[in-house]
Amino acid sequence: MIVKSTPTLTALVLVLGLVAAGPALAADGKQLFADKGCTACHGEDANTPLEPGYPRLSGQNAEYAFTQLKDMKSGKRNNGLSPDTMKPILEEVTEEEMKALADYLASLPRLMAATTPTSGEGRKLYMTKTCVACHGKDGLKPVLKTYPFVGGQDQKYILTQMMDIKTSKRVNGLTNAMQPVMHLVQDSEIEAIAEFLANVK
Amino acid sequence: MKTLIRAVAVALVATAAFGTAAYAAGAKDKPAQGKSLGDKDYQWNANGGEKDEALHLKPDLANGRDVYEVCAACHLPEGWGQTDGTFPQLAGQHNKVIIKQLADIRALNRDNPTMYPFALPDQIGGPQAIADVAAYIGKLKMNPEPGYGDGKDLEHGKKLYKEQCARCHGDHGQGDNDKYYPRLESQHYNYLLRQYQWIKEGKRRNANPEMVKQIQWMSDRDTKAVLDYVSRIKPPANLIGPKGWKNPDFE
Repeated sequence: MIVKSTPTLTALVLVLGLVAAGPALAADGKQLFADKGCTACHGEDANTPLEPGYPRLSGQNAEYAFTQLKDMKSGKRNNGLSPDTMKPILEEVTEEEMKALADYLASLPRLMAATTPTSGEGRKLYMTKTCVACHGKDGLKPVLKTYPFVGGQDQKYILTQMMDIKTSKRVNGLTNAMQPVMHLVQDSEIEAIAEFLANVK
Repeated sequence: MKTLIRAVAVALVATAAFGTAAYAAGAKDKPAQGKSLGDKDYQWNANGGEKDEALHLKPDLANGRDVYEVCAACHLPEGWGQTDGTFPQLAGQHNKVIIKQLADIRALNRDNPTMYPFALPDQIGGPQAIADVAAYIGKLKMNPEPGYGDGKDLEHGKKLYKEQCARCHGDHGQGDNDKYYPRLESQHYNYLLRQYQWIKEGKRRNANPEMVKQIQWMSDRDTKAVLDYVSRIKPPANLIGPKGWKNPDFE
């Protein structure tokens, strides 16, 4: 009985193995970025958001991006569009695929937005409100790989994230390192910092 | 009902985020965590580790200045911190206290997610760097105008300080370098308040268990009064800097 069923079992295991291996074989970040619909909102180059308020993703730190994807899927990150828009999309994306996506995004060049002259106030605040300590000069040298690049980010997006971290609407990942200093920054100052970051060259 | 479920879910998520140490740094960046308050066999100020190494190294003040540049972004070039208590005053703090706290933060024996990356060896260096920066900090003159409480209950605070705190922290809050007890005089009130609460609740995991036990009975009024009192004590004149002093090392 046992001997007789072995070929069937072997076949079944093989088939299951192939099915399981399917996503692994397809874990090509670029392909996934198109197939999972990411391009629709974040742009084909991952740097042309459909609307103000959506983040630019190209050149982001891989570890940071991976954490955010996992956290939006699990609900740990639930500010902004994370729960209603990103979560349902990510239900269809495995952890392995998220890793591939994060690695792909990190491999893309960081393209800066068209720059408009700013008052200089935001740069000063960026230096004095301790932002520079963690995110580095112009928001382009995060001190840990788990921290995001913020220079050149979409202005409305970065403004919302600062506000949400300040008010604890966003509490995932390492926001607990940033939240305790956010009371140092007035809302109007956050606007100036967002304007500066969005226009980093 | 749906709202209730959602509220519970949000609360759970928030608890999860704050409840864990949440150091998402890669495993390679993450040192092994030592025993902490509440663990079996926790020993306050256990010997060993980088603390001991740093204590026995000869400090290099010039390198201490270079290391301190990282710290200066938040604690300011003068080491005066922020009067609102977001960042403590470091200037004038005892050598052994700085060494112990820095070693504890990077060994994850004291939770400080904001400071953690700046305590890592790849940011500041090994035990020698700890020795150097501690020596540099110890030479900085203190802030003549730290942050205070409301000043309404100072007599009560003075009485409590003498009864409860002076035995370890000294008659004017000078602390004790040899025993790793911090200098409290002229520390920012809000910083003292936050650390005190965390020590009381066990959230500051490298606290001295004797102190944790000793302060449990103190009321909110007692706490505010005693910390306001100690924040207003002036250290000896030779330890205080002039008003508005700027550290020329960073100009």
